[in-house]
Amino acid sequence: MVDLRKTGHRRYFVKPGHGWSIWMMIPTVAVLVIVIGYPVVRTFLLSRLKYNFISSAPARVVGAENYLHLANDPIFWQALLNTAVYTLGSVAIAMIIGAALSLLTEGFIGRLRVVKALMLTPWAVPFIVVAFLFRYMFEERSGIVNELLLRAGLIHEHIPWLNSAMRAMPSVMLANIWTQTPFFFLIFAAAVAGIPQEVVESARMDRAKGWTMIWHIKAPFMRGAALVGGLLMVISNFNDFAKIWAMTEGGPGYATTTLVVYVYRMAFTSYDFGYSATIGVVWLVFLVVFASVYIRAMQGAPR
Amino acid sequence: MKVRKTTAGSGITAKLLVLAGIMAMLCGATVFASGSGEQGTVAAAATVSFANWADAEQATRPGIQATISKFEAANPNITVKSEAISFSDIGHTLVLRVKSGNPPDVAEIAGNDTFDVAATGGLEPLESYVTPDLKSSINPADLEVAKYQGQLIAFPWTDSPNALWYNKDIMKKAGLDPNKPPATVDELMTDLAAIHSSQPDVIPLGLDTTNRTFGLAVNWPWMVTFGAKPFSGTTATADTAGMKAYLSWMRELAQKGYILTGKKIGEFRPLAAQGKVAFIWDQNVLQGVIQSVNHMTDSQFYATWGVAPQPKGPAGTSNVVALGHQLIMFKNSSVKQAGWELIKYLATSPDAIVDYTFKYESSLPPLAHATGEVAKLLSTPVNKAFVDQILPTMIIPPYGSTYAQAYSPIMAGVQQAITGNTPIDQIAASIQSNLSSALGG
Amino acid sequence: MTQRRSAGASRRRSLARLTGRTPVERVVIAVAVVIALLWSLAPIYWMLITSFKTELEATQLDPTLWPRHFTPENYAKLVGQTLPFMSFLLNSVITAFGTALITIAFSIFSGYSLSRGAYRLRGLMGYLILIVRMLPLVVLIAPLYLLLLRVRLLNTYVGLIIGYTSFALPFGAWMMKNFIDGVPKEIEEAALVDGYTRTQILLRVVLPLVMPGIFTTAAFVFIDSWNNLLYPLTFMNTMSKQTLPAGLLLSFTGQFKTDWGGMMAASTVTTIPLMVAFFAIQRSMVTGLTAGALAGE
Repeated sequence: MVDLRKTGHRRYFVKPGHGWSIWMMIPTVAVLVIVIGYPVVRTFLLSRLKYNFISSAPARVVGAENYLHLANDPIFWQALLNTAVYTLGSVAIAMIIGAALSLLTEGFIGRLRVVKALMLTPWAVPFIVVAFLFRYMFEERSGIVNELLLRAGLIHEHIPWLNSAMRAMPSVMLANIWTQTPFFFLIFAAAVAGIPQEVVESARMDRAKGWTMIWHIKAPFMRGAALVGGLLMVISNFNDFAKIWAMTEGGPGYATTTLVVYVYRMAFTSYDFGYSATIGVVWLVFLVVFASVYIRAMQGAPR
Repeated sequence: MKVRKTTAGSGITAKLLVLAGIMAMLCGATVFASGSGEQGTVAAAATVSFANWADAEQATRPGIQATISKFEAANPNITVKSEAISFSDIGHTLVLRVKSGNPPDVAEIAGNDTFDVAATGGLEPLESYVTPDLKSSINPADLEVAKYQGQLIAFPWTDSPNALWYNKDIMKKAGLDPNKPPATVDELMTDLAAIHSSQPDVIPLGLDTTNRTFGLAVNWPWMVTFGAKPFSGTTATADTAGMKAYLSWMRELAQKGYILTGKKIGEFRPLAAQGKVAFIWDQNVLQGVIQSVNHMTDSQFYATWGVAPQPKGPAGTSNVVALGHQLIMFKNSSVKQAGWELIKYLATSPDAIVDYTFKYESSLPPLAHATGEVAKLLSTPVNKAFVDQILPTMIIPPYGSTYAQAYSPIMAGVQQAITGNTPIDQIAASIQSNLSSALGG
Repeated sequence: MTQRRSAGASRRRSLARLTGRTPVERVVIAVAVVIALLWSLAPIYWMLITSFKTELEATQLDPTLWPRHFTPENYAKLVGQTLPFMSFLLNSVITAFGTALITIAFSIFSGYSLSRGAYRLRGLMGYLILIVRMLPLVVLIAPLYLLLLRVRLLNTYVGLIIGYTSFALPFGAWMMKNFIDGVPKEIEEAALVDGYTRTQILLRVVLPLVMPGIFTTAAFVFIDSWNNLLYPLTFMNTMSKQTLPAGLLLSFTGQFKTDWGGMMAASTVTTIPLMVAFFAIQRSMVTGLTAGALAGE
C-alpha cells in the first residue's frame, strides 16, 4: 500500500487497492441517479414550463413566470407557515413529553419493563390508521372526544375540531404528537440508561436533587439523542403526507395545508406540473443550503 | 475459515457476481413488468370493464350487481367486469388512466368530471351508435348536456337533481306545518331556529360543504339565489355584494349550529335515515339510501319525507342543479360494440330502469315519454314532485375546463367562512384573487 | 451504550433509585405513568371496540363506550366484498418485502464502501446521502410518474418498488455504514493479509457481525414502505393493485363513507403486521438510530 504521508501530495481519486469500493457503490448510485437524479433535473426543467398534465394545451416555456407567481402566492406562504408550526411544534412537544417520561420511568425494570413497551405502541400504528382513527375520534357528533368532554362537563355543546379553522391544526398536531412521542421516549430512555452510575452517585453525594439533578447532571447526556432524534423527526414531519391528507386534505380552507399537501394538490388534483415543480425547486434549494450549514456545524463541533 | 490464495486484491469473481446480480435483477424486473400488464381480450367472448361508483357504495351495490347479472344473462357472449371506484375519485382516476394508457371500456360519470375526461380526448364519440329511434326516445335536454365541443361523448343514464327534503315528523314536533315547507330563505331560517331549539340533538340542515367539484355544484343554486356568480369563463367575479351576502348566510348557518361543516352529503344520509336530520339539500338518491338503511316501506317513507324546490333568496330565484349520472365509452376499448350494448341496457331497458334506476338510485330515467311500469313509478309522491315542481327549475353550473380550476379557491373560501372568524370582506377578496390567478393565463 | 454491569447489581441499584424516592415522588410517578398509558392505549382500544360495533352504532350521534351489540360482521365483510381488501394486504406485503430485500442487497455493499472505502468522493457521497434523506419526495413525484409512464411501469409492483427505493436506498446505505463502522477493522485487516478479497471479507467476516443491523434496517425499510401513502396513491391506478394505506383512503370515500365500524376493522388488520415488525426490532432500534449520532455523520 502506498503511504500517502510519505509520498507527499500524490492525489489519488481512489486509493490503490480500493477499486472494489467504487464497484460496491455502483448499484446504489445507478438506481439513485435514475429515481432521484433524473427527477431532480426534470423538476428544474418543469419549473420553467406552464404545463397542465390533463389539458390538451401543450406545455409552453414561460421562464421565470412561475417563480414570480410563487412569490405572490398567499397560499404558498401560508403553507410554509403551517409547515413550520406543524413540524417544530410537534417535535418540540413530543420531545419534551418523551424526555419527561423517560426520566420518570428510569427505574422501571423487570416486570415494569412491560409498561415501557406499552408506551411504545402508538409508534407501531400505521400513519394512515392514526389519521382515520383520530378523524373518527374528533368527529363533531359521533366522536368520542366530544362525548367525553361533554360528559366531564368541560364543554357544553359539540365542538367541531377538524372542521374549524382555528382548531384543525392543533387537532392534527395532536395526532402527530401521539404517534411521535414513543420515538423520543425510546431514545431518551436509552440515553438515560447510559448515564454512568458514578456521575449520578457523586451528584447525589453533593446533595443535588430534583430539578438540579435533571437539568445539570442528566440533561447533557440526553443532548446528543435530542439532536439526532430531533433532526430525524423534523425531516420526517416535513415530509408528512399521509396523516394530514387523510385527516383533513389540507382543509378547512387552507388551514392545515403544509408544503407537502400543497405540492401534491398542485400536481395531482390540479395537474399543474409546472407550478408544483417550481415549489419543488425552491424547496430543494433551501434544503441544500440547510444541509450544508448543518454539516459544517456537525463537523465543527467537537464531540 | 478456509485459507485461499487469490491474485492480489483483484476479486474478479466478486465483480462478476455483482454484475450478474444486477443483470439478473433487471431481467427479472422486465419479465415481472410485462407479466403484470393488462390482459388482452380472448377471441369469441367479450369482457367489458365497467368503472363505476354504484358498486362502491353499500346502498347501490346489490342493485348494480343484480342488473349486471341480468344483462349478462341476456347477452351470453358478454361478461362485465365491474370496477368499484369511489365517486370522489373517479374523475381524476379516469383522467390518469387515459393518460397512462389503461382506461376501462365503459364508465359511470357525472357533473364536471365528464368534461375533465372528455378534455383528454380519450372518449369515443357516441353519435354513430345512437339510432334515430333511440334518439327520439331520450329527453333532448339530457343529450345537450352530454356534448363536448359539439360531439356527443356521454349517454345520459339517470336524472337526479337535488332538492330540499324535509322530515315531516321533526317539523311536527317543532310546531311547524309539515305540509308547508319553507318557500323563502327567511322562512327556512325561522324553521331551522324552531327545530334547533325544540330538538337540539337533530341536525337542522344537511348540506355538502366539501372542497370538491361536487361541493361547488350543489352550492351553486344557493350562490345564485343570493345574487352571487363567482366566475364565468375565465373571469373571476367573486368580490361582489351577492357573494358576500351568500358567505354571510353560510356563516350564520354554521355559527347557529344549523349545519355540520365540511361534511360530504353521503355522511348525512344514514343520519337522516335515523331521523336525525330535519332538512337536507340532496338528490333523489336519498330515498334509496334511507330505505336501504332503515328498511322503511314506500308508504312509510312518503309519510315521513317530502321534497320541495329551493327556497328563494334575496335574488328571488329557485333552482336546482342537474346532477345526473352518465355513461361514457373510451376510444381505447377493443370491445366497443359490447360496451355500447351495456350502455343501452343500463340507460333505456325497462328492466334496468325499474329494477335499478328507480329501485336503487331513486332517480329518474332520461326518457322523453314514459309508458307502462315506468309511467306508474313516475307518479309516486316524490317522483311527481320532482317531475312537476323541481325539474323545471334545473340549471347547469358552468361545467367545463375552467370549472376544474375554479372550484377549489371558491370552496376553500366557503370553508373559511363557515369554520372561522375572518371578516367576510376579506374572504371574498381572497377568493377573488386566488380565483383570478387560478383562472387567468 | 448501556454499561455492562451484572444484572443483579443493576437491578439493585435501580430499585434503590425507585425506593429511594419519597412516597410523594412515587405517587407522582405512578399517576404520570398511568396517564401516559391511558393516553397511549385509549385510542387503540377505541379502534378495536369500534371494529366490533354495527355500522349504525358506530356512526350514531352519541357514541357508546362499549358496544351494545358485539358483532364480528365488519371483519367478515373485509374478506367477502367487492372491495379487494385482501389484495391491498397482499400488495402491501409484496412491495414492502421486495423493497426491504433489494435495499439490504444493495446497502450491504454501499454501506461497506462508505465505511471502509477510500476515495476522493467519499465525503461528497456522505453529504449527498444526507441531502437525499432530507429530500421532499413529493417534489419528485411528478417527474417520477412521467418516467414510469414512459417505461410502462405504472400500476405494477416493480414500478412501486422502484419508487420506494428513492427513500429506502439512501436510508439503507446510511444505516449499514453506521453499523459497519462499529465493526473493528483489525479482523478485516487480518483477513486481507491472508489474501481474502474485499467481497469475501464483506460477506464472510463483516456480514455475520452486523446481522442485527441488517435485521433492523430491513425492518425499518419494511415499515416505511408499508406506511407510504404518496407513491401508491400516484403510481397505482386500479384498486386491485393498491396497497393498504392508499386502498383504505380510497375506500373511505366510497365503501366506508359512513361505515366507521368497517373502517376500524380494516384499520386493525392494517396495524397488525406493522406491530409485529415493530416489536420484533424494538430493542435494536435504538442502537441503529443512535449509532449514527455517536459515530458522527
